Amino acid sequence: MQIKYLPEKCIGCRLCEMACSGVKEGVFNPSLARLQVASRYKAYKLVNEAKICDSCQSCVRACSTGAIKFEEGRLVFVKDDCVKCGACFEACPTGVLRPGGDEFPLLCDGCQGDPYCVKWCPHGALILEEVG
Amino acid sequence: MAGYQDLVLRVNLTTGKVATESLNKEWARDFLGGKGLGIKYLYEEVGPGVEALSPENKLIFMTGPFTGTIVPCSGKLGIITKSPLNGYILDCSIGGSAAVEIKRAGYDAVIVEGKSDYPVYLLIEDGQVELKEAGDYWGLCCHDTEEKLKKVYGDDYSVLSIGPAGENLVAYACITSDLYRQAGRGGVGAVMGSKMLKAVVVKGTGAVRAADAKKLMDVTYNAYKNDLLTDTNLWAYTDGTPMIVELSQTTGILPTRNFQQGTFDQFANIKSEAVAAAREAKKGCVSCGLGCGNFTRVGEAVVEGPEYETLSIAGSNCGINDLGAIVKFNANCDAFGLDTISAGGTIAFAMEMTEKGIYDFGIRFGDADKYVELPELIAKREGLGAELALGAKKLAEKYGGIEFAMQVKGLEFPGYDPRGAWGMGLAYATAPRGACHMSAWPVADEAYGEGNPFTIEGKAEMVKDLQHYNAAKFSLILCDFWALSFDIMAEMLSALLGEEVTAQSLEQAGERIFNLARLFNTREGLSAKDDVLPARIHRHPLATGSTEGKTLPEEEFIKMLLEYYSIRGWDNNGVPSGEKLQELGLR
Repeated sequence: MQIKYLPEKCIGCRLCEMACSGVKEGVFNPSLARLQVASRYKAYKLVNEAKICDSCQSCVRACSTGAIKFEEGRLVFVKDDCVKCGACFEACPTGVLRPGGDEFPLLCDGCQGDPYCVKWCPHGALILEEVG
Repeated sequence: MAGYQDLVLRVNLTTGKVATESLNKEWARDFLGGKGLGIKYLYEEVGPGVEALSPENKLIFMTGPFTGTIVPCSGKLGIITKSPLNGYILDCSIGGSAAVEIKRAGYDAVIVEGKSDYPVYLLIEDGQVELKEAGDYWGLCCHDTEEKLKKVYGDDYSVLSIGPAGENLVAYACITSDLYRQAGRGGVGAVMGSKMLKAVVVKGTGAVRAADAKKLMDVTYNAYKNDLLTDTNLWAYTDGTPMIVELSQTTGILPTRNFQQGTFDQFANIKSEAVAAAREAKKGCVSCGLGCGNFTRVGEAVVEGPEYETLSIAGSNCGINDLGAIVKFNANCDAFGLDTISAGGTIAFAMEMTEKGIYDFGIRFGDADKYVELPELIAKREGLGAELALGAKKLAEKYGGIEFAMQVKGLEFPGYDPRGAWGMGLAYATAPRGACHMSAWPVADEAYGEGNPFTIEGKAEMVKDLQHYNAAKFSLILCDFWALSFDIMAEMLSALLGEEVTAQSLEQAGERIFNLARLFNTREGLSAKDDVLPARIHRHPLATGSTEGKTLPEEEFIKMLLEYYSIRGWDNNGVPSGEKLQELGLR
């Protein structure tokens, strides 16, 4: 399963980011969310954009210590194995993977198949989709 | 304290001094945040007799305990100051993203004091706060100001700005944010202009903490799915406020031709379906979940709206039946920084004055070509605009027609005719800032619901209860469009703070806040003589529709007002009794 973003349905509420940081970090802070949504007016048009992890596994391949793994269809982060080298951030093609306050990667594990961002999205802009 | 940042940012524009201080926790407990806490700070810091446009007045931007959390519909920012219209308390709110940015920057409130000698803007980047010279921005419209600032700082900054109307101290100038959101009513933009503060630019990257985030999320998710995202509230998403046009038309309270009629022949041109046809996208404030914003384009004019208040007061009430003209007028008000309600109400008054031959303002009902050009003239105080900038009350004092200058305490009427909703008359007369639909909205029951619109029975109690409800809700801060119970508010607040808050204590906080607003006003000399409606409401029967022939008779109104004072524990002159103040902890 993969999280998919439908920009035309997004109202820019950012409850997805609030929910993600709340459940993963225990505080409400979009800067600590595993996804990033922006809904802004540019040149008198509404532009909705999002960065969402699509499990491409570039970070897994870039991780030299095995701290980031792909197991049973999900990304897994082993904090004890991370040396904060930053290679995963460099490798992420969308830039959605960011460091948190402690510099460890804010890795999306899809909330074990029941992502909070999707649950909190009010009008179906974030959906879960079968892969392949 | 969970839910709060425990920090107030205080900026003195006279000295250029920027300082922080602890949030007064006792006040936060009693007055919650937003509207209530802002009124408390202003009550304590701005004494009687201070001129609203003087350096001694303060401009308070206040967030609430729910701001920046998972609680939906909590994204609005309270703006509290002394009103330039009447010297009474003025509280407004603005949607968009600014409230969340201020809170994430680490502040519950920003209090702006004094007056700069030259135009400035306030830059807040987390703990870094700076006053910057704004000469290059002074004179620009709101959209241009915001876009220019975002070019410098980035799209992820929030901007609160004023347009030329605020700079020129027009008494109904607004503050704009996220291009299309406004703190519209009562002239908050003029206060900002009087301080030479062109804009506030803010970006926060910090967190907001709950006592137990998981618990807050669980409690809130239940309310979110089973209460917020239900048919009771989702009209805000499917239609937004334009839906009210048809309701008002049917019930005969759609202001038409300066409140001479309660129905508009061409209402179909301005009703929800017409707005929806021109809609490009839906947009909500940060944390919203509903998404009431209708991003609408007609020709080159774009707005988030037009809202019902604009469609009615600046539409049917000006005899304008062309949605394109209303959108253009709305866009011009937004650009130049004017409240569409007071602008529309003042123009409608001038139109009737002209048609009645009392004074020729050169503009008549339905004159769309002239009407769309007026916001710029008003904002710049040029030509006819210099007169209209006075607002309906002062215009009437100058040229006559006070009986049909549709205002209370200098604030022009919003879009509900009280002759077809008698409780709404009481709400207008007793709202702290003047004729206002945000202090209580009894029309939902008495006109649009099952209630009887043409009776005073039960209305005093209804208006009182609604005033407490809104005072509590707008202090937490939650949006008007989530019709939630005190129980749900209390449940979410308890989880946020990690201590038990009861529905009853929230209701009492609402009453406390409403009474403090009253105390602010009575300290300025307000009394029963000011809780009045324009004579038209008592003496001129409505001309059309289901309310044809109706008035709100003055003796009925006075009876309702005195009953209202009595159940509030106020004396016959509208002053809160010592006993009531004691009960609410206000003495």
